Amino acid sequence: MPSIISDYNYWIYILLMMIGLYAMLAKNNLVKKVIGMSIFQTAIIIFYVSISAKEHATIPIIAHHGAAEAAIDVAHYANPLPHVLMLTAIVVSVGTLGVALALCLGIYRRYNSLEEDEIQEQLQ
Amino acid sequence: MIWQLDLSILTLIVICAFATIMVKDLLSAAIIFGAYSFLMCLLWTEMGAVDVAFTEASVGAGVSTVLFIAAVYQTTRKVGVRKSGRLLSKAVALVATLLTGLVLLIAEADFPDFANPFTPASLHLSPYYIMQTLHDTNVPNIVTSVLADYRGFDTMFETAVIFTAGLAVIAILRRFKKEDRCDLPEPYVISEAHPDTIIRFIARQLVPFIQLFALYVVAHGHHSPGGGFQGGVIFGASFILLAISYDFKMVLGIMSERWNILLGNIGVLIYAGIGFLCLLLGANFLDYSVLSKVLPATDKIMARSHGMLGIEIGVAIAVLAIVISIYFNIVSRGKYDKGL
Repeated sequence: MPSIISDYNYWIYILLMMIGLYAMLAKNNLVKKVIGMSIFQTAIIIFYVSISAKEHATIPIIAHHGAAEAAIDVAHYANPLPHVLMLTAIVVSVGTLGVALALCLGIYRRYNSLEEDEIQEQLQ
Repeated sequence: MIWQLDLSILTLIVICAFATIMVKDLLSAAIIFGAYSFLMCLLWTEMGAVDVAFTEASVGAGVSTVLFIAAVYQTTRKVGVRKSGRLLSKAVALVATLLTGLVLLIAEADFPDFANPFTPASLHLSPYYIMQTLHDTNVPNIVTSVLADYRGFDTMFETAVIFTAGLAVIAILRRFKKEDRCDLPEPYVISEAHPDTIIRFIARQLVPFIQLFALYVVAHGHHSPGGGFQGGVIFGASFILLAISYDFKMVLGIMSERWNILLGNIGVLIYAGIGFLCLLLGANFLDYSVLSKVLPATDKIMARSHGMLGIEIGVAIAVLAIVISIYFNIVSRGKYDKGL
């Protein structure tokens, strides 16, 4: 049981990542592929945030009123570094999502279809 | 952190992920994906990553869903069925996925325990940030101080990436001619045919509060979750709300394309300009402590705090402009004539 509690987050991150990977590989529709890519991204973000979590820790904002300022216990605050990396990663992911959807729209404008096999048929 | 809560949210997330992949209607998939993002946001709040949760709530659950809906509106809702080679491609993808998952599971055995405070990731660099942020910068929100000060270079180039993404969307989609290369059906017009008074009234009343809240999020990012990225996205979302509930043209009257692109440039320029100002004053790039020479009545510590506020404002302006630009280009298929 302790091994399940200590590991389940990682298992679910792998499961989500595989759902995203499967959608990117197997789905025929381009928008579905883009959704798969987004799921893949969030799986990696879960992984990073899981690394930053600490038991019995609070959010990474320091209580600075009164005497708490004197002694800061590092184990009392969640690790802020993965949070920073993932915060920017989420904002970049909306940029990549925009470009991906723009490409889908461009393909739709040219081929009048979002299905992979129909586009390939027209390409040949 | 309560692991029972954690596990139940994760279960819902996996269900949503399956559903959004399996559902046969793209609009439904977009909405389920919004729910998925919102559950993610709950999960991160629960793990103590409040800034990440805030970003996910505004970007993932908000703007991403709107972008998906805009793309579906401009293309089609239907998911077609692959005609030939369907089973083979699914089987190959399944085998590849299972193999990759197996390799990752084997690697997972070496990971440190979840929520252990003494993992290598939490022992080397991050204790310095936690111990020193108040002493160095007088900013209690460690995420903000790491984002804008200790790792300022990283954030500057992230902002540049967003800006480049906006430029890429314009380069791909923007059309000045009226006709497309193949005849596409006109998208279904919702807003002009059925102006909904209730929705319009509520949206109009909400917009000032949303914008005020966005400014608060930017200005108060030093002391609470939030900052330039979140505030900028929320500010941009208020314009998107107007464009959806009212008319596309009305928002273009407030925020023309020219102004929008100019704002994106100004945002990145503010960030890089503060960096160069530090160079000119004789310190390293983005070393804000030297700004105490030009800012009145600030010591070196407060100068770092104010420098961070300056670059957060730059980030907010850039993100605001780029989010609006991406949405407008996708929803009008690059023609800027009409949208949702």
